[in-house]
Amino acid sequence: MELKGEMSMLNVLHLHSTDVSEIIKQLESKRDEVPAFFQNSPVIVDCTNVAEALSNIDLAALKKRIADLMFVPVGMRGMEPEQQAMVMKAGWPALRSVAKKKTAVSEDTQSSATSSAVESQAEEKPKKATEEKSSERTVPQTITTNGNSTEVFAKPIRSGQQVFVDAGDAVLLTHTSAGSEVMAGGSVHVYGAIRGRVLAGVHGDISARIFCRSLDAELIAIAGRYQLLDEGTTDLRGKPAMIRLDGEKLIIEAL
Amino acid sequence: MSKVIVVTSGKGGVGKTTSSAAIAVGLAAKGNKTAVIDFDVGLRNLDLIMGVERRVVYDFVNVINGEATLKQAMIKDKRVDNLFILPASQTRDKDALSQEGVEAVIEELKADGFDYIVCDSPAGIEKGAFMALYFADEAIVVTNPEVSSVRDSDRILGILQSRSRVAEQGGSVKEHLLITRYSPERVEGGDMLSVDDIVEILSIPLLGIIPESGSVLQASNSGAPVILDKESEAGMAYSDAIDRFLGEEVPHRFMDVKKKGFFKKLFS
Repeated sequence: MELKGEMSMLNVLHLHSTDVSEIIKQLESKRDEVPAFFQNSPVIVDCTNVAEALSNIDLAALKKRIADLMFVPVGMRGMEPEQQAMVMKAGWPALRSVAKKKTAVSEDTQSSATSSAVESQAEEKPKKATEEKSSERTVPQTITTNGNSTEVFAKPIRSGQQVFVDAGDAVLLTHTSAGSEVMAGGSVHVYGAIRGRVLAGVHGDISARIFCRSLDAELIAIAGRYQLLDEGTTDLRGKPAMIRLDGEKLIIEAL
Repeated sequence: MSKVIVVTSGKGGVGKTTSSAAIAVGLAAKGNKTAVIDFDVGLRNLDLIMGVERRVVYDFVNVINGEATLKQAMIKDKRVDNLFILPASQTRDKDALSQEGVEAVIEELKADGFDYIVCDSPAGIEKGAFMALYFADEAIVVTNPEVSSVRDSDRILGILQSRSRVAEQGGSVKEHLLITRYSPERVEGGDMLSVDDIVEILSIPLLGIIPESGSVLQASNSGAPVILDKESEAGMAYSDAIDRFLGEEVPHRFMDVKKKGFFKKLFS
């Protein structure tokens, strides 16, 4: 038996109304845009925004109708602790709620989502920790601009370390080492060399970008579209570069 | 104020025990009361390198388990004053180490007036290595000029920065880079990483560069730490490193390819 952490695309359905028929109608039209893509795809229902009125929703019916649309209802989150029993009784696995964390360099990461869009959004679950059980963190300085919380890291990101900035940009004042991972909901700015993995826009923000003084990354990704640097063709290895997403393609440009 | 120094690397076989022995001798020879502890339980080597393998009665694990006192287990070095060795157990393994036990031993050494407590770490990032680095105030990261060693040293630096006790309390362990088995000829030939490459990747202050030297093998065979060999380049480089550690500015030697003299060129 092996228990492995994995990155996978997951849909999250954020509820904003208690009208099950309306929810299903919207979900169906979304699905019909690309039915093959959504078929048998797992979906988590996030009821944070309707938590007060949760008892007005026929949760069992919601689960059945979501399954009828060929989605796979995986669980529900965002309810209040006292509502967990009710949710589970209706047939929904109760998932851990997302907490906004200020963190930093850690030896393990947790999945989280903070977007509040109406439609379902593709979301990535970052790799879960395997060996390390304790979570020792060094809290970096946090700069808040425009409601976005950017986190700044002054020390090098060493091999084996993972950095996760949930809602905002990651700014690294020095390099990252091979075997490290930097992930951000926003953009990633590295005033040094990127030698490890870098993933920007991990909650689906396709406008996120990656900037660095020297591009030596192992893997680059924006909003889930990833590329091993060695599998691409770029002359910018070792040089200042900016990476952005154009449709489904990662474009690497000189800075 | 006692200082706990861990000599670690991540990678195996790069020169941790050789360096721990040389550093402990060097510090003691300068008048500091120094203890050197072997954390490689089950695969002990420090006693061999220090030449005390036939004098081991009790070991580190005996002390942790209360089967012997620290005074009974510590071996006083016969060549250098102020130097004491605490060997590891050979019959047990690293699970025998407990955080409380290790802490108690280190506290007792501090209370005993030791200026430096050198912890010779085993390779790896599991319990033995973790116990060796957890209580450290300073770390000497031993690295060969070779890619896998540099990567592993980077990993151990990450662990030092996030999981040492000093880091848990919000501070940072003082880090020093010790490059060992350096061969200027191979660097010039492109096989080995240069000092600048290594310092760039690891970004920690350079303590010393120890050249590859046959005297290291002779030293371990004879149980006399290489720093005692006054004619060996490695020994001299370790001496320089000790001076730098204690605050002196010493230029780095043995970094350049030896130019063959006129007669050597003629007759070689």
